[in-house]
Amino acid sequence: MADVANGCDVGRLLPEAFQDLTPLLSWALATESERMQKRRSSTMEEILAFYHAMLPRMDAITDYLKQFLLDRMPAETQTLFQLSLSLMEVANAVELYKQPRLPNGFDPARFVLLE
Amino acid sequence: MKTVIADKRWAKKYPHVGTGPVSAEPCISPEYFELERERVFRRVWLNVGRVEDIPGPGDYLVRDLTACNASILIVRGKDGVIRGFHNVCSHRGNKVVWSEKGTCPGMLSCGFHSWTYNTKGELTWVSDEENFFDLKKEEMGLTPVHTDIWEGFIFINLDPHPRESLREYLGGLAEQLGGGYFDRMTRMYTYRVDEKANWKIALDAQNELYHLPFQHRLTIPNFCVSKDNRYTRLLDVRLYNHHSVYSSETPEGLVPPPVQALAFRLEAAAQRCQLPRIGDFDFYTIFPNFVILLFKGVSQDYYMTYNFWPLAVDRTKWDLNIYFPPTEHAAHRLSQEYMKCLLRDILQEDAIAHEAIHSGLASKAKTQLFFQDDEIQIRYFHKVLENHVGLE
Repeated sequence: MADVANGCDVGRLLPEAFQDLTPLLSWALATESERMQKRRSSTMEEILAFYHAMLPRMDAITDYLKQFLLDRMPAETQTLFQLSLSLMEVANAVELYKQPRLPNGFDPARFVLLE
Repeated sequence: MKTVIADKRWAKKYPHVGTGPVSAEPCISPEYFELERERVFRRVWLNVGRVEDIPGPGDYLVRDLTACNASILIVRGKDGVIRGFHNVCSHRGNKVVWSEKGTCPGMLSCGFHSWTYNTKGELTWVSDEENFFDLKKEEMGLTPVHTDIWEGFIFINLDPHPRESLREYLGGLAEQLGGGYFDRMTRMYTYRVDEKANWKIALDAQNELYHLPFQHRLTIPNFCVSKDNRYTRLLDVRLYNHHSVYSSETPEGLVPPPVQALAFRLEAAAQRCQLPRIGDFDFYTIFPNFVILLFKGVSQDYYMTYNFWPLAVDRTKWDLNIYFPPTEHAAHRLSQEYMKCLLRDILQEDAIAHEAIHSGLASKAKTQLFFQDDEIQIRYFHKVLENHVGLE
């Protein structure tokens, strides 16, 4: 339920209009734990580079995603969706606590999402 | 709406709740924990799930409740009725169903010797029955547990003779939150935290807003805070039988950071869906260990539940569920993802404090807890608990 796009080999391709985001594909991850791990193991520079590359494209991305139902996304749309999910994952690190890992937070490995 | 903030309002409104310090001993005492198990968790109504967890005939849930010294089987019968049983075989006491969740084909068999029960709990088959002595199968079904449903929430009560019906137990809260609102939402995420803290420490830490501008200074420094209300004083506090709600409002006009603003915009486009909120954020403590939190969304409200399950005097399983109005659309789903990540990060800030508080109290450096007026709901919870533990 939590990660509708998982279990699918997305083939690492993006829709035609979003080819410019191809360098960010390492952020196209299917599950919360993968996206969280990516955030926590990245430097702030890497996170900021991803954030600032995605943010100006989000209006176009969400307009594009609005055409699709969650369970009927073509593979390249799923990849774009997963990139967008990663933006949601890193948003707090950039906008709120300004570092890759939540300071003074409980060990995420013990705060388990039942997927 | 502007909060009217006088000092010590709630003590004036609810003088019977008191104002003095509260003993820390119940949070660390193994003897008190045993009393809680016997006099609270085995006697009151406990939430164990929602009807949509077992939507079809034969669907079941198993809840191993350490706090009750019991394993409970909740199963939806072929007749659609949800029933609860002790998950204990009539033969020699083995656990009948071992998986936490599943679907059975109308019958459940004990793995030990294959004694078989139907979804009404009746014993329907005994292997090599002819070799037994005077078995009265019709009297040897699973032991039933009082089970009732309120607004889709499944409750059980292990007392053979509950002192109150579920409706009586919930009191006015049942009407306040009634009306079928929760059926319109769907559970999107469940987190589980195994904490080294007493269950009351975990619950108490959540059961107030006083900590928000401090513990959550990096994540939600402005939630329920305004120029006129720096210390998150509450909009309302209501007491319902054994339960309470506190409510707050959060100022409008704050400028959200970019991705948060995007999440709000995506959500605003969704069809309106509201919950019966008192304020912008309502926190219901349903005694002893169940919490319902209502949140105001831009267009769609959402809610969370907590179940704090004691595993030992110093260990708690905290289950957190996040429910949103269902969405089929990928763009709208992003706003829910954003909100989930924010809630998760905030609650991770909380969880680390639960364990630190337990360590602090366990050191016996301090023997009392001090609550201010806008923490009256915690005070009330401890008073209700004390009343239950005091009953033989």
